[in-house]
Amino acid sequence: MIEIHLILLFMITAAVIAVEVKDLLSSVVAIGSVGIGLSLAFLVLKAPDLAIMQLVVEILSLIILVRATMRKDLPFSISGRWVFNTFATIFFLIVFLTAAYIALKNIQSFGNPVLGISKTYIDKGMEMTGASNVVAAITLNFRSLDSLGEAMALLTSVIGILAVARRIGYNKRS
Amino acid sequence: MSVYVLCFILFSIGLYCVLRKRNLIKIIIGIGIMEYAVNLFFILIGYRFEGRSPIYAHDKVIKNMVDPLPQAVVLTSIVIGLSVTLMLIAVAMRIYERYKTFDITKINRLKG
Amino acid sequence: MRLAQYLIIIPLAAAFVMLLARKRFKSSSDILAVAASLSLTVISFVIALSTASGKAVVNNVGNWPPKIGISLVADGLSSFMLVIANFITLVVSVYSIAYIKKYTDKWKYYSLLMLMAAGVNGVLATSDIFNLFIFMEIASIAVYALVAFGTEREAMEASFKYAVMSTVASSFILMGIAFLYSYTSTLNMADMAIVIASKGPSKVIAFVSVLFLMGFGLKAALVPFHAWLPDAYSSAPATIPAMSSGVLIKSLGVYVIIRIFFNVFGITQEVLNIFITLAVLSMLTGSIMAFGQSNIKRFFGYSSISQIGYIFLGLGIGTPMAIAGSLFHLFNHSAAKSLLFLNAGDIETNFKKTDLNKMSGAAVLARTPVCGYTNLAGMFSICGVPPFAGFWSKLIIILACIQARRPFVAFIAVFVSILTIAYYFRAMTPVLFGEKTGEAAIELKNKPSLTMNLAMIALSLICLFGGVLLLPNNIGNNLLNCARSAIENGCSGYAAILFGAAK
Repeated sequence: MIEIHLILLFMITAAVIAVEVKDLLSSVVAIGSVGIGLSLAFLVLKAPDLAIMQLVVEILSLIILVRATMRKDLPFSISGRWVFNTFATIFFLIVFLTAAYIALKNIQSFGNPVLGISKTYIDKGMEMTGASNVVAAITLNFRSLDSLGEAMALLTSVIGILAVARRIGYNKRS
Repeated sequence: MSVYVLCFILFSIGLYCVLRKRNLIKIIIGIGIMEYAVNLFFILIGYRFEGRSPIYAHDKVIKNMVDPLPQAVVLTSIVIGLSVTLMLIAVAMRIYERYKTFDITKINRLKG
Repeated sequence: MRLAQYLIIIPLAAAFVMLLARKRFKSSSDILAVAASLSLTVISFVIALSTASGKAVVNNVGNWPPKIGISLVADGLSSFMLVIANFITLVVSVYSIAYIKKYTDKWKYYSLLMLMAAGVNGVLATSDIFNLFIFMEIASIAVYALVAFGTEREAMEASFKYAVMSTVASSFILMGIAFLYSYTSTLNMADMAIVIASKGPSKVIAFVSVLFLMGFGLKAALVPFHAWLPDAYSSAPATIPAMSSGVLIKSLGVYVIIRIFFNVFGITQEVLNIFITLAVLSMLTGSIMAFGQSNIKRFFGYSSISQIGYIFLGLGIGTPMAIAGSLFHLFNHSAAKSLLFLNAGDIETNFKKTDLNKMSGAAVLARTPVCGYTNLAGMFSICGVPPFAGFWSKLIIILACIQARRPFVAFIAVFVSILTIAYYFRAMTPVLFGEKTGEAAIELKNKPSLTMNLAMIALSLICLFGGVLLLPNNIGNNLLNCARSAIENGCSGYAAILFGAAK
């Protein structure tokens, strides 16, 4: 599966650029390209709904991120305190990656999934729900509580932003 | 297998950015990279070699669909990641108004 | 009767109506919030009655059979926690009627509170691990916004740091869910338990346990993942630490860890040892750091960290008596710590001070007697003074440590208990009892209001009479026993409830 490896290498390069570059606007653009790489990866992995969703969400968050950094003088980020913190972080990441590698050897190998309840969804999805897109059937019919929760999360985020963006927090009278 | 390792390297890059960078916007970018990596990992788990998208066709019976359940899960997870990112950006913008800086080592009035 | 779904629908509807009616009916949000939390409390009591008499409540959303769709299950442990969570939400809503007057835009506060209640109810009632993650995120987003509700600088800083740490923890949790799905190919927790039990010990389960301990340990404020708690509690309005410490830490942290480690993975001796180590660390760190604090809410926050250590100590010992003691301590600590935070809010509203060093001489007991006496009740319950409820739960945990032949851990528990008494009395006695006159006098700026007093009295009654849960053959004791047996039955018990009731 050479395409997946290429796309992943592209995403890793763009992510390293996003993390290390000093100009904030450039790093926001770099993370935009990571998002587009992810959308391409979803297409190659045969998940078209996800590719569309990822593109839309990526555009939304990019616009808001650019708005957050644009009008504020483009401040440059300076390197912080180095030695001990960086070594501790890199040591933790190496331990984490080693443990993840050992665990990854014991799950199903790439490309041969074991289908548990998904078998029921694939075999009987059309007769149970009448939808020809199985992912839509799962999201809207079998696991509709998840979609309700997703809408609730957006509602909470919007009310939270309204609450945080208030100009006056305290009542002057009391 | 090597695909999984690359995905985890992407996750570690995001984690490194959250732990080590001083600028608030860089921290939010790091969280975004971590979310991308986790969503990609979910879909990589469900992939089948020579698989087809989980959409029925009219005339034939498709035998080798990829796993549809992780796709439904990631659909929801992308939206939840968006909500959290929006909340973080709103708070970061208000911090900039009050503290006049994005530098997290200077945003340090709470002690103890 | 399909009751469990109303736990999520009612607060969501209340939040939505508050959003729609915000301009026309300005004072409707308090009435709606109190009415919604009252109905939630009644529903959770009805569910608890049904569970305590032996019949667990299972609600298949959309009428799909359990593995294919999502089911809402209220077994012993869930009903126990549902009663605690919804009652504290009701008390906090009643208290907020007067407290929220000093902030603007109170409908935002109430709708976020209702959405947090919906998220917590969802976490407690669901049997699907990804659904649990979604509701946990809903409750967390609501708390990030509520901590920053005062819109002052420190509140924004605390909210940002809390949000970043909590989002990193959520990423770890989602990664763990992905590993679990790949290993077991199902998302239903009871089904996962069956598959994991049949596959035997594995490196994947060990790695996922570490991920979940890191992720949910941060939500439960276990040391070393507790760093967000003092900052977030010190700068939020006083009802938010009451909700967070009484409801969120217990539901999103302790409950999920119990559910996953006892009912899905199957408990092993290594995991129990890890619990005991983290518990001892939490108890010691919380107590030692509480000595030097000057902000009253920060001080109570460190005390919370220490008491969560007690709960994990009981879980880590693992014997039936220890688990019962730990659940009872969870119940007592929720009531007592929420009461203490509400008292701190009362002192803040009446005397306009939050710094303990500047408050000595306020004579809270004499001037605002309800606040003073309830504060004493809460303090005695947490310190473990008989006959308050906290004494019995700590005694059970310490006796269970000794019975399990771990005298060193029991000694540390007793030592931390003595430290607790020391730092509480050192910090609170000048505030409650002293009186300064003349120029250094601290004046009473506001008269205490009726709703705040009612809320505090309700919680203090639980602190005083909570010991009744240990007397045999009453409804509370039956519920406690159901909760304990739900934990002890492990993987097979949970699966039996879910699939057995589906027939």
